[in-house]
Amino acid sequence: MYQFLLTKRYLVSKIMPLLAAVAVILCTAMVLVVWSVMNGFLTMLISSGRTMTGDVVVSWPNAGFAQYQELIDDLRKEPLVKAAAPVIESFGLIALPDGAKKTVRVRGVEGPSYAQVTRYEETLHWRPISEPVEKDVDREDPRLHSISGTSWEEVLDNGRRLVRKGESGRVEPAMVMGIEVSEFNRRQIGGFYVPQQAYQALPNGEYAFVDLFMPRDGKVLLSLAPLDASGRAVEMVSRNLAVANEFQSGVFDVDSSLVLIPLEVAQDMLRMNAARRVVKDPKAKLAAGDGFDDPAEKLVEEPARVTDVLVRGSMDVFRTQDAMQLRAAVERVYERFAERHKGVVPPVHSINILTWEQQNRTMISAVKKETVLLLVLFMIISLVAVFLILAIFWSMVAEKTKDIGVLRAVGASSAGVAGLWVSYGLAIGIVGSSLGLCLAWTIVANINPIHEWLGRAMGIVIWDPRIYYFVTIPNKVEPDKAVIVFVAGVLSSTIGALVPAARAALMHPVKALRFE
Amino acid sequence: MNDGPASSANPAALRETASDACLRVENLHKTYALGRVKVPVLRGVDLSVAEGGFTAILGASGSGKSTLLHLMGGLDRPDRPASGVSSIRYKGRELAGASRSTLDAYRARETGFVFQFYHLLPELSVMENILVASMVRWGLAWPAHRGAATRAAEELVEHVGLSHRKRHRPAELSGGERQRVAIARSLINEPTLLLADEPTGNLDQKTGETILEMLLSIRAARRLTMVVVTHDERTAARADRVVRLVDGRVAKA
Repeated sequence: MYQFLLTKRYLVSKIMPLLAAVAVILCTAMVLVVWSVMNGFLTMLISSGRTMTGDVVVSWPNAGFAQYQELIDDLRKEPLVKAAAPVIESFGLIALPDGAKKTVRVRGVEGPSYAQVTRYEETLHWRPISEPVEKDVDREDPRLHSISGTSWEEVLDNGRRLVRKGESGRVEPAMVMGIEVSEFNRRQIGGFYVPQQAYQALPNGEYAFVDLFMPRDGKVLLSLAPLDASGRAVEMVSRNLAVANEFQSGVFDVDSSLVLIPLEVAQDMLRMNAARRVVKDPKAKLAAGDGFDDPAEKLVEEPARVTDVLVRGSMDVFRTQDAMQLRAAVERVYERFAERHKGVVPPVHSINILTWEQQNRTMISAVKKETVLLLVLFMIISLVAVFLILAIFWSMVAEKTKDIGVLRAVGASSAGVAGLWVSYGLAIGIVGSSLGLCLAWTIVANINPIHEWLGRAMGIVIWDPRIYYFVTIPNKVEPDKAVIVFVAGVLSSTIGALVPAARAALMHPVKALRFE
Repeated sequence: MNDGPASSANPAALRETASDACLRVENLHKTYALGRVKVPVLRGVDLSVAEGGFTAILGASGSGKSTLLHLMGGLDRPDRPASGVSSIRYKGRELAGASRSTLDAYRARETGFVFQFYHLLPELSVMENILVASMVRWGLAWPAHRGAATRAAEELVEHVGLSHRKRHRPAELSGGERQRVAIARSLINEPTLLLADEPTGNLDQKTGETILEMLLSIRAARRLTMVVVTHDERTAARADRVVRLVDGRVAKA
């Protein structure tokens, strides 16, 4: 019991234990902040990455595959499948109203079915809101106010259906682009966007500032290159498309490079719609005289094709084993489908059926390894705390040599004296780790404002969304990780106290009493 | 009163005084190493202490009197002599070869130490300095004895005249007051043997006399066996028996 009394007194009466506690506080906080941010980053990556795609993707990127509607119907009968949607993936070039050209990833989707397999509707940024987002104290978010020439409800509905009313009043297919693609929207500190004035090229070759709100006024020229079966570009197809809305998935890479267009427009531009086409047939060379100029050409009836079918699981597919179970079910369905359409669709062993995690395994694995590496590095740094405590305790034991002699004189055992220093280390560990946890929680909870302040006051941008994919830094401390770091902090401190405790225990009582 | 010294060279005298002895040491040797040099401090001390008596061990600096006190109090162990066997017996129990835990218990329950330089714990108050010895004695059972120990500590504080200083720390006390706290601490576990190493050596004459009077009255009231190491003849003159140590041996009368 004397150990508790002396530990309490030593803790508050000396500067050295405070220094030891500060070392534990800093190390604990540092490890927890890094772990929380990196783990949050990984969680966001897995979660947000699935915002715009399915849990499992059936993909044949070369030429696409036909009869996809039948496959989707089959998939919808599978109990593990909640929804499936056809998609075309391609690359294209857009010309923006200010004359800027940009390469983009183009995704052809059916608005409603795409919304069933993804969280697409939630990502549509331009929509009516009644309350400002957090930190928008001045209510600067344009969505809070009415918009001239259209309404937020109409813009949202346009986004859902990928359409916009043309100048003639007719509803036309339209594009939904990532909120960062055009660079006409400026992200504010609260996380909302404000459309900016844009340069616009005039017919006389000059430029002028114009108020340009893409979902109301914006049109882009989209150019796509349809490919033949061998992957060679047949020709370049361009089309003017109005912008229906803009999405914000939270993943910078997606928001700055992806545009969505109606599936039928993508099929039409990429020559993947149902049509009778003249195609080259190398085998036909041997049998000339079928009416074409080139004996290698022939007329075929081509069904509509897509490059991907996205599948959403009926369970909340997030865990790897659930995703693998869903993938196996999709593979079984596709196998039966391919059997029925032998020679028309790729066989099951050729087609790519991948979970979202498998599709992005390189990136996810890199982040996981980076997290482990950072943790190991910071734990090595934290070992410094162990040695720091050892050094501080070592000198404290020297300073308290006489006290140790007194305790031994009144009957304290060697183990009891060792226990005093170990419990002292334990107390510093508990105090330091608790305060370290509080500090880490405060930092992580406010990491975005802190980061914004650093950016404003010192021009330091640590978290660049172009590198880290996300525009905001993960700001959640997971309780299980906090417990692990707490226990590790307490253990480190206790381990650091062990050697000085052994020194105190082995001290000869008479020598200790005579110590000067 | 002064019985005169016992002598290792006079076994008959030893037997005589040992008849009512509670503490008996025989053939004690102790050598300290100062670097490579070995310095013999005790060279075969024989001594017995009568139960309830006040024995003064008198000697010059370096004569080995504090070392003898530490050996009697179980703070140190004697060397193995070249001939014969070293022995420290307290109430019939051998301490020279006792285990560490036996010595720890002996110090906690049966002895009380008073040092020349008080040796109080600077972070603790007067009450806590006294109670810490009780905490050491009772270990994990301390909460069960807390009430009784606190009452005993308060009585002791009152007895040594420091009721008004209970919450003060050692740095806030005078030398005499510190020594009174040390005396109270040595008594909290109700020892039967009180060992004092120059208890008045760091005090002025008047305060030293007060402390000595206090020790004597406590000894009488509690029927304590008291061994006081001193180089002060006046202190030794108050003892029942005086043992003179010269060059690590008990001097002949």
